[in-house]
Amino acid sequence: MSEIGNDGVISYELKEFKLFEPLFKWARKKSLWIVAFCTGCGGIEIPPLATARYDFERFGIMPNPSPRMGDLFLITGYVTPKTLKRIIITYEMMQDPKYILAHGSCPINGGVYWDSYNVVKQLDRYIPVDVAIAGCMPRPEAVMDGIMEMMRRIEDGTADGWKRYRENYEYYRRNQDELFGEGWREKEARRWLAWI
Amino acid sequence: MDMNEKNVEEKVEESRPELPDTREGRLVKALIEKAPYAEGSVRRERRVEFRVSVERIHEFLELASETFEMLMQISVVDWIKEGEFELVYQLWSVSESVHAFVRTRIPRENAKLPTVMDVWPVAETYEREAHEFFGIIFEGNPRLGPFILEEREYKKHPLRKDFNMLGHVKAIYGEDFDRYDESKTNYVI
Repeated sequence: MSEIGNDGVISYELKEFKLFEPLFKWARKKSLWIVAFCTGCGGIEIPPLATARYDFERFGIMPNPSPRMGDLFLITGYVTPKTLKRIIITYEMMQDPKYILAHGSCPINGGVYWDSYNVVKQLDRYIPVDVAIAGCMPRPEAVMDGIMEMMRRIEDGTADGWKRYRENYEYYRRNQDELFGEGWREKEARRWLAWI
Repeated sequence: MDMNEKNVEEKVEESRPELPDTREGRLVKALIEKAPYAEGSVRRERRVEFRVSVERIHEFLELASETFEMLMQISVVDWIKEGEFELVYQLWSVSESVHAFVRTRIPRENAKLPTVMDVWPVAETYEREAHEFFGIIFEGNPRLGPFILEEREYKKHPLRKDFNMLGHVKAIYGEDFDRYDESKTNYVI
């Protein structure tokens, strides 16, 4: 899908459909399907969003069982290195375009686990985070606001985490390898995903 | 004066509490008579406590398992100043509805204990966990080794009090989230 133009800028949009790009952006923003990967304590904040009071389905957001059909990756709380392995594999399984919404202060800087041996401090070093919501835990209003912010960013094209992940893949890969050791995909991921 | 003397007598009695004549007290008394090497006390309703030396812990737990059918948890406390680990076997009596703490102390260096897998098979999991986080060796448990943690943390036994948490965190996750002094006194936030 991507190709490098004469000016060295990678274009991710099909040239034939450049005219329809605003329509595509509007459609993407209005049909965010969630990969519900409930890590940490934020998983329990999703049911209030899904039920009658906040009802995120009126924005076209839908919980979704498969990462292959997902657009929005919710990371709902602290991330341990073991979970991060699963998160990276799940993230790489998702189709472009894909967006990451990080809940709470733990993915930002470790939060209350800032000195814990088993919590990843800056999630942005390992996978690209588009929108991060501060708070411990954020209230459903804050999460709704984060989702609206995500929609705004998709519309004006600044939610470009998936592009950053492609362009800076060496950087992310190096950080992942530093944390897990070289060859962790071959060693660990093959245990739960035989086809990798 | 009579009143005062009475008060003094009562206080003396209170300072050496006898086992109360309740369900828990009778339970403890019966077990102590069978195992006179253990100390027993009643903490409150449905909660009793025993202290046993490490040499006879297996013998005592085997005896206790007749009344306390269930092993609920093995928890470990690291008393670093005394140089000892305190193991707390938490037992539950289904027939009597009583929760018992069986406490024993072992030295921190080369901490070794006999396993209680032959009494409660479920002890295997709890012993693996205690081994992983504190480095206690349970002799006779065949599955000691890396369990929940990764190899890197398993080697260091991270819940020991002398585990250098900040040094480990900085070595693994990098220094650029640094917002504190090494002494944990001055926060830079």
